[in-house]
Amino acid sequence: MSSVEHIKEGRSRPSFPLSLLPLVFGRATPGAGSPAILALLMLPGLIIVAAFFAIPMALVAMRVADGPDGLATYFVILTNERYLASLIQTLVMSGGVTVTALILCGICGLFLVRNRFAGRNVITALLTLPLSFPGTVVGFMVIMLAGRQGVIGSVTDALWGEKIVFAYEITGLFVGYLYFSIPRVILAVMASAEKLDPQLEEAARSLGAPTWRVVKDVILPGLMPGLVSSGAICFATAMGAFGTAFTLATDIDVLPMVIYTEFTRNANIAVAAALSIALGAMTWAVLAAVRVFVGNGATSGTGGGA
Amino acid sequence: MSTQIRLRNCAKTFADGTRALAPFDLTIEGGETIVLLGPSGCGKTTILRMIAGLEFSDAGGVISFDGDDVTRQSIEKRRVGMVFQSYALFPNMTVAENVAYGLKVHGVPGKERDARVDAMLEMMHIDMLADRRIDQLSGGQRQRVALARAIAVQPRVLLLDEPLTALDAKLRVRLRTEINALLRKLGITAVYVTHDQEEAMALGDRIVVMQKGEIAQIGTPREIYRKPQNPFVADFVGAANRMTGQMRDGRLHIGAHVFDAVDAFDPRHGAIIDQGAVELYFRADGLSPCDLDEAHFTGRVEAVSYLGERLRLTVSGIGPQAVTIDTHADDVIETGADVHCRVNADRLTVFPAVAAHS
Ligand SMILES: Nc1ncnc2c1ncn2[C@@H]1O[C@H](COP(=O)(O)OP(=O)(O)O)[C@@H](O)[C@H]1O
Ligand SMILES: [Mg+2]
Repeated sequence: MSSVEHIKEGRSRPSFPLSLLPLVFGRATPGAGSPAILALLMLPGLIIVAAFFAIPMALVAMRVADGPDGLATYFVILTNERYLASLIQTLVMSGGVTVTALILCGICGLFLVRNRFAGRNVITALLTLPLSFPGTVVGFMVIMLAGRQGVIGSVTDALWGEKIVFAYEITGLFVGYLYFSIPRVILAVMASAEKLDPQLEEAARSLGAPTWRVVKDVILPGLMPGLVSSGAICFATAMGAFGTAFTLATDIDVLPMVIYTEFTRNANIAVAAALSIALGAMTWAVLAAVRVFVGNGATSGTGGGA
Repeated sequence: MSTQIRLRNCAKTFADGTRALAPFDLTIEGGETIVLLGPSGCGKTTILRMIAGLEFSDAGGVISFDGDDVTRQSIEKRRVGMVFQSYALFPNMTVAENVAYGLKVHGVPGKERDARVDAMLEMMHIDMLADRRIDQLSGGQRQRVALARAIAVQPRVLLLDEPLTALDAKLRVRLRTEINALLRKLGITAVYVTHDQEEAMALGDRIVVMQKGEIAQIGTPREIYRKPQNPFVADFVGAANRMTGQMRDGRLHIGAHVFDAVDAFDPRHGAIIDQGAVELYFRADGLSPCDLDEAHFTGRVEAVSYLGERLRLTVSGIGPQAVTIDTHADDVIETGADVHCRVNADRLTVFPAVAAHS
């Protein structure tokens, strides 16, 4: 070993745990740190993934294989009319909730950021209040609104003698999930909207762009990262949420409810497990597809990944 | 043909009550480059935005392009090109897409559009960057793209708001020269906002010097530099030295000395200042160091700075505040030394003393 290297070795090398800090908090530099150290840093994440995700998933998957139909259970759930209908219904409703929430919150969030008026902070606070409510409370509120004794029913009864009740079906669930999703999406939209550069819009307008073009070419691309990430959370939550549905009615055929009934009432564990895997895989696939589809455009936008 | 722009009786009070612009008139001739010059907050950007259609004048103001009243017309219809200090390029589009955007909005068909985009990129020397993303460009390259994007649609007027302020000094000078050449070549009417006196002098056919929402002076760079019409303009364009004196029967008295050859025309009152207290504004060339027997004044050197081709002295004891005087770079002068100097009366700009005209 040459003397130069020797001096370098001897000089103020940070002690082992300290030398990890730049790896964790610093910018990734290519070739930084040995593979062993990097593996060590990955360890906590790997343990969590294994303990809470991979192992239970494997156990669930094994339950499917252990069932009376074995791996054919997957085929069963995709051909059984009731299961398939529930799958599609859940997908459509979650997609619908997500799109509706994105449109509503896109408009409201942009408006709240762009305008200063009395009561603005109160409205923002009210819109984000449901953030803390569990699904059961949201279900309870939907019943208060659209249940048999609900506000909407009473009003329509008084007006034209017909009680409109939709709390105990998929429409009620849709309203509940929408209510549940609004705060998350609106906060994300407002955060992205604050960061929009007004001069971009002015530049577009100076080039002759009418309002709809400014929205399409400047505002939407700027909001896209926020819309994608909050939409993903919104969709995943709607796919898997259970509390609201359970509070509203036990015969709403969304997938989490079907899984629950198969598991507890029918003791059809293999089917429940297969449906669980299908639910997870489908949610994951949709989110991955959205990311691929808008991801490129969105990330080359105003920064901030989905 | 380039567009003539007229602003008549325009003023701006913002919703929160801020009076950004007092009523003013301004005519910008077709093909002319006008520079709006003034310190931060004096209302330059507001004028530019009024011409663009991003702000509307208070009631009573009229803006016309070639005689067409555009006062109530929105920016989309005005055909103005805008260039911002922050570039404001679309981050979700490539360089070529940015430049093509206005043409696309105007419905220029694909083939012609591509040809025009290519010509623009070539003219701005950024043709090799066509497919780059905006975040892969340097500041200077971004501003070239912004210029190309603005002129691609052949606007009636090009509006530039401190386009070079975010760039480093060397690049600023180079791009300034290029913008100057571009504006001459296109023959387009242009309004250029800056707080930098040198930039204003280099680019403007005429300069509008602004002070707190009012026009302090309009003139050619030469007029602004040599004949500032009031102390604010004099100070802002670099004649920051001040002495006080007296006019008696058309002759200037400073202390015990009398000077004949002064230009004491007061443009604001349209008359020669004949009598009364005056303030004298001048650059470093208003006083020159000399030997004791030729000197009008003697001051004390407070600071010495080496400017390469000359030495700049900050001297107290001559005016009410310290003044700057230039001397040969080779002179050896220490802080605290006495310095003798003569007044170059033809370099003084004479204004009535504040009490007389405020
Ligand atoms: N939207 C606005 N609302 C209230 N005041 C404003 C607004 N825009 C500018 N001002 C005020 O108007 C004055 C002139 O601003 P501006 O034209 O931007 O100055 P400059 O470009 O010369 O720095 C400043 O005092 C500024 O604070
Ligand atoms: Mg400004």
